[in-house]
Amino acid sequence: MSKNSFADGLREFFRKDLVQYIVKRLLMFIPTLLLISILVFFVIQLPPGDYVSAHIAALATEGELVDADYAASMRADYGLDLPIWQQYVKWVKDIIWTPTDSAYYRLYHSHHNWKYSFAYGRDVWSVVNDRLGLTIGVTAIIMLFQYLVSIPIAVYASTHQYSVGDYISAIIGFLGTAIPNFILAIVLMYLSYKWTGNANVGLFTQEMLKNGIHLYNFGDFLKRMIIPIIVIGTSGTCGIIRSVRAQMLDEVAQQYTLTARAKGVSEGKIIMKYCFRAAINPTVSGLGGVLSSLFSGSTVTALVLNMQIQGPVLYKALQSQDMYLAGAIVMIQAVLVVIGVLLSDIALAFLDPRIRYSGGGR
Amino acid sequence: MRKKLNSKAVSLALAAATSMSVLAGCGGAATPSQTTDSAETTETQETTTEKETTTDIASSTEEVKVEGFAEAPMLADQVAAGKLPSVDERIPNSDNVFVETVDATGGKLEIGNYGGVINLGGAGGSWGLSRPSLESIIRYNTDGSYYPNVIKSFEHNDDYTVWTFKLREGMKWSDGEPFTADDITFWYYMCHLTNFDSKKSWVALKEDVNGEDAWATLKKVDDYTVTWTFVNPKYPADFIENGDFKWCWAPAHYLSDLIPDSEDYPYVENEYWQSTGLSEEDVLANAQKKNIDAATVKDLGKAVSYNFWNVSGVPTLNSFVLSTVPGNSSKDDTLCIMDRNPYFWKVDAAGNQLPYVDALHFNQTSEDGQDLLMFRSGEIDIITIAMKDIAATLSDLGDAAELREWGTTGWGSYQITFNYTNTDKNYADLFANKDFREAMSICVDRKQVSELLTDGFLEPGQCGPQEGNVGYDAEWQSKWTEYDVEKAKSLLEGCGLEMGADGFYHFADGSDLMLTFLAYDGTADESYPVFEQYYKAVGINCALKNLEVSAFDETIDNNDWVAVMGPHTEIGGASLKDRAAPFVPIAQAAEWYGEYGTFYATKGAQGVEPTGDMAKLVELYDKWRLTSDDGEREEYQAEIYKIHKENLWSIAYLKSEGFYELINSKVKNYADNLVTADCYQYANMTHYEVLFKAE
Repeated sequence: MSKNSFADGLREFFRKDLVQYIVKRLLMFIPTLLLISILVFFVIQLPPGDYVSAHIAALATEGELVDADYAASMRADYGLDLPIWQQYVKWVKDIIWTPTDSAYYRLYHSHHNWKYSFAYGRDVWSVVNDRLGLTIGVTAIIMLFQYLVSIPIAVYASTHQYSVGDYISAIIGFLGTAIPNFILAIVLMYLSYKWTGNANVGLFTQEMLKNGIHLYNFGDFLKRMIIPIIVIGTSGTCGIIRSVRAQMLDEVAQQYTLTARAKGVSEGKIIMKYCFRAAINPTVSGLGGVLSSLFSGSTVTALVLNMQIQGPVLYKALQSQDMYLAGAIVMIQAVLVVIGVLLSDIALAFLDPRIRYSGGGR
Repeated sequence: MRKKLNSKAVSLALAAATSMSVLAGCGGAATPSQTTDSAETTETQETTTEKETTTDIASSTEEVKVEGFAEAPMLADQVAAGKLPSVDERIPNSDNVFVETVDATGGKLEIGNYGGVINLGGAGGSWGLSRPSLESIIRYNTDGSYYPNVIKSFEHNDDYTVWTFKLREGMKWSDGEPFTADDITFWYYMCHLTNFDSKKSWVALKEDVNGEDAWATLKKVDDYTVTWTFVNPKYPADFIENGDFKWCWAPAHYLSDLIPDSEDYPYVENEYWQSTGLSEEDVLANAQKKNIDAATVKDLGKAVSYNFWNVSGVPTLNSFVLSTVPGNSSKDDTLCIMDRNPYFWKVDAAGNQLPYVDALHFNQTSEDGQDLLMFRSGEIDIITIAMKDIAATLSDLGDAAELREWGTTGWGSYQITFNYTNTDKNYADLFANKDFREAMSICVDRKQVSELLTDGFLEPGQCGPQEGNVGYDAEWQSKWTEYDVEKAKSLLEGCGLEMGADGFYHFADGSDLMLTFLAYDGTADESYPVFEQYYKAVGINCALKNLEVSAFDETIDNNDWVAVMGPHTEIGGASLKDRAAPFVPIAQAAEWYGEYGTFYATKGAQGVEPTGDMAKLVELYDKWRLTSDDGEREEYQAEIYKIHKENLWSIAYLKSEGFYELINSKVKNYADNLVTADCYQYANMTHYEVLFKAE
């Protein structure tokens, strides 16, 4: 092989049909996202009542009575009294482009008005932004853990099929998947409380919340990450272990593996360069969802563990019918899924040159 | 140790209080019916009830002379660094400062030590931050007596048309600006009458003049005196005691560039303030410059002049003010911090400026039970706890935790009620029949319900004032409580119902009788199956329909329902003075009167006109409201109670559940046997400014 094999690979990779494919896919974004936005907007509005009625019910629980006039004028202010299709059009229009002469632009200097979160009393984007960094950070750590743990285990299990190690990894993996996350979380919090006197509720100690995370308290932060990593990490690892293991077993039995082995290629090279590369395909195509989960994190577990990530915000927004906030989060998730799928398709093509994009045989 | 209030004494005291307690020499020494010479006030919170009632509050007070003030070390440091004026310049002098010596039950307060933090659960809701920090016009004691709080005194003329508020000279906002009569005229004319605060509907400042709504005239007499003038007599119940009327001030120096003069919020002509001339957009931009994010002027107004404790940067008179540090400055933050107000105008008996603790920390949790875990590990100091969790928690924590029991004013648990204004005449007539309600009450074996649903904790009871509260009546509590299936059946037949082939009663015209109980947020999921078997056993077919709370409220408002299990607005409460709407059909509020309340609230424009005893309630309420005679008021209230006892529009099966808190034993000055009620502002009665953590 020539020295330029990687550059050649890239050149070969970005051949004309792939570029066309990407452009086509990007164009398909528009109708896809429009459809999703319609679905999102209308599904969020499905429960009876709206934010104003939910808000007034909450005030009544606190002992504050609100008269009907106030509710009506609040609806008018928020545009909730308009027919639903008009609300939808306005929502989409303002997200795509808010003109320079609008009050929103003058106030926020942004052309994309995601509207206002009723419950937080703030611009939706600022609410989403608040937890974005943390959500991505925490989820990335957990995912890294998942892949770093599960892939070596899977490779080991497939090359040592039916060994004790294979069984142990299978048992742990199945337990991780079979036990609902929230139960595991509660059990671990209980054990943590029993053993250390502290349940480790939440990602941060109060001290961190007040003074921020610094080098001196980073250890405490990592301690707090133990339970989320175990809970969320183990639930995902099993899936990866099983699929990679099964694929690997398939590949190991293939003709080309036999041929390579017959030709005296080293076992390590056979496994890592040929079998593993082929076996990882389903995992890579599954990466499409990763972007979206990086953004939202795990909702139920985050609720149980009181983690300050995006998931619980969405949950609360849906509960209180804070529709623009919920709409924004779901919409961004949808966009990320669409982008993620595209990226994973491209990555797949890179990994496996056999995959072609233009129709017809060659 | 604090003495437990003997329930007879509480009952007596509350009875006296519902008339009106007159307080002398208390935090401004105002007597609501007499003019007070403010020069003579000894500024100790001493409360005595006019009537000869035996309350601990009256007997446990003593006079304290305060000489010289001390302050928290953290503030002393700031003074030394030149960042803050000295304590003598920050708070009113000894004639005007408020000296806090007793808690709301009359227990003598310990002199505390400074420093530390009190950790609480999440702030939640619009009012969460206000409960432990809000300082209002008056404050109540557990016996219903009250005293001027932020204001130094209040008084009225003989015919109740002019009320005078005197302020505390030298009192300052939390940013150090003086608090004067201008802040009151600003609030009234610029925030309230423009409806900027969205609360122009408050009855305290409104009256009916020739069939039209009219508002009081506010006059500034001098920097520390204002008068409210009405055309008709404005009695205490409708004014100073009105639960809405908690404050009447706003920081003019801070808010003046946030008040618009627009179509929706037009300037109200007055002699003190001119129109700001600002458009709604100007105002929103100005707000943004102050880091206040609001989508509409309505949101802005409500945020800065109503739920002002939630907005970081707005000066207040409260004991604690919201932090301005990003990340800790919103009730939605995981850790929301309220710092001590360096200009707080209260001191303890030794002259130490309050509050004792440096800050309140609100720790947001996402699930029930997390706060209990955090309490157990010492991360939270005070939590609300369910009855069933108390024993286990206390036995695990031993001396580290203490229980605080709050009196409740609810009228019994496991309540059901019916739609008396149902548009289907069959149902409306059936519910109007007292025999039907009696049958629904006695067909249930309350003892078994108690065992099944509360492990026997809550005793059988009926829907009425609970022991220890105003209006308690043993006969009422046991009315229609004996379990008698046969009698229930014969009562049902007496209502004109006919037994069908399916084993259930039908209406005489052959149509089905189906009691679909509405419930919200799953509150009846556990109890409904228990009650269902009793109802079905006597031939009443029923079902449960659970809705999310806002959908529930909407269904009630639309009058599209038959019966409710676990009403959102329960009948009754502490007393009419606390909040009248749950007692009498005067608002679009409680399920038990449905559309009758709408009729009163809309002056007959909508709803159903009440008749019979329902109409009598409204009549008595208006009489009660429009008299200053304590004796008469007591009589009217007693009559209203009598009508309730007679009718039992809501049925309760067990007695009320108490309200319990666990506190870290290190927290001192936390009174026991406080009362949780709206007019007492719930946790506000704890007086967080006097809590301290023992070293």
